[in-house]
Amino acid sequence: MKYLRVCATTVVLMMSVSLASAQTVGFADAIKILAASCGNDIQAHCQSASLANNGITNCLEKNQSRISQKCNADRLVVIGLIEARLAAQSEVAKICNRDMAQYCKGVKPGAGHMLRCLLKAQPSVSAKCNEAIDLAGYR
Amino acid sequence: MNKLFLSSVAIAVIASATGALSQTKLSRNEIINSLQGAQQEVNISADELQKAAIENVEKYPGANSPQQLPLAAKLASLRQFNLEITFHFDSATIAPASYETVGLIADALHTPYLQGQTFFIVGHTDAKGTREYNLELSIKRAEAVRDALVTTFQVPAEYLFAVGLGEEQLRDPSNPDAAVNRRVQLINLGYK
Repeated sequence: MKYLRVCATTVVLMMSVSLASAQTVGFADAIKILAASCGNDIQAHCQSASLANNGITNCLEKNQSRISQKCNADRLVVIGLIEARLAAQSEVAKICNRDMAQYCKGVKPGAGHMLRCLLKAQPSVSAKCNEAIDLAGYR
Repeated sequence: MNKLFLSSVAIAVIASATGALSQTKLSRNEIINSLQGAQQEVNISADELQKAAIENVEKYPGANSPQQLPLAAKLASLRQFNLEITFHFDSATIAPASYETVGLIADALHTPYLQGQTFFIVGHTDAKGTREYNLELSIKRAEAVRDALVTTFQVPAEYLFAVGLGEEQLRDPSNPDAAVNRRVQLINLGYK
């Protein structure tokens, strides 16, 4: 029973840690906000704009005086969320540098090999590196 | 015993939650699980596949393709996943209803599980309309998906190749006009 209680406390602790650090969302969760909040405005003003090259968000910005308040607010949120996730992904190599040297000796760089090694080595990997991997959406 | 009981309750709760979700919603991990585990690199180039489809239309004209593409069997053996992406009528513009699906592909392709592997993004249509038109439209649509992935969602471009097969590779050849034939297929060609 004592063992159980310790377990539960650990789980709660882990949950609160991961909640505190869950500051990025995936690309799907970001872009679906745009579809939900701006769907009508896209249909009215950006019908032929492309999802590529930020075409939709650029078109909405051009039409900001004509689109709904909610869409105007959320288009900026979506841009911020995508940028945050991309930034988190580009941080991983730097933050996990030491962990890679320590736990992934002999693993060839590139093609995701290092990251797969870090995922396998999760129990040994530093908390900072594990957090960076979570923020990048790599797990 | 107490411990065992607790953990089985937890598992049951998790199982029912995912069960409810998987019926309606596509997830990133569903895409990953279907695509990962590629064996050695496969020697089919996107150009070769595209050419095969164009030649199929030229060599065997008619309302419907009389035969499968020569590369079909080889492609069928690879890790792959079929997605439904909605485009505006007669156009290669991705509809807002499918933004999330494109985002899920990006989420999946960015993970270490799929990084470093080469993927074909293959567009397919149903058999309504001419084969030439369908081939052209499917190429544009596959390119639209690839472009969104490599620009807005910054998936590394060197691993992604767009191919359009029109109606040359129907998913359900006995129902050529069925909606099930309209799809975007991701195929894992393995590590370089």
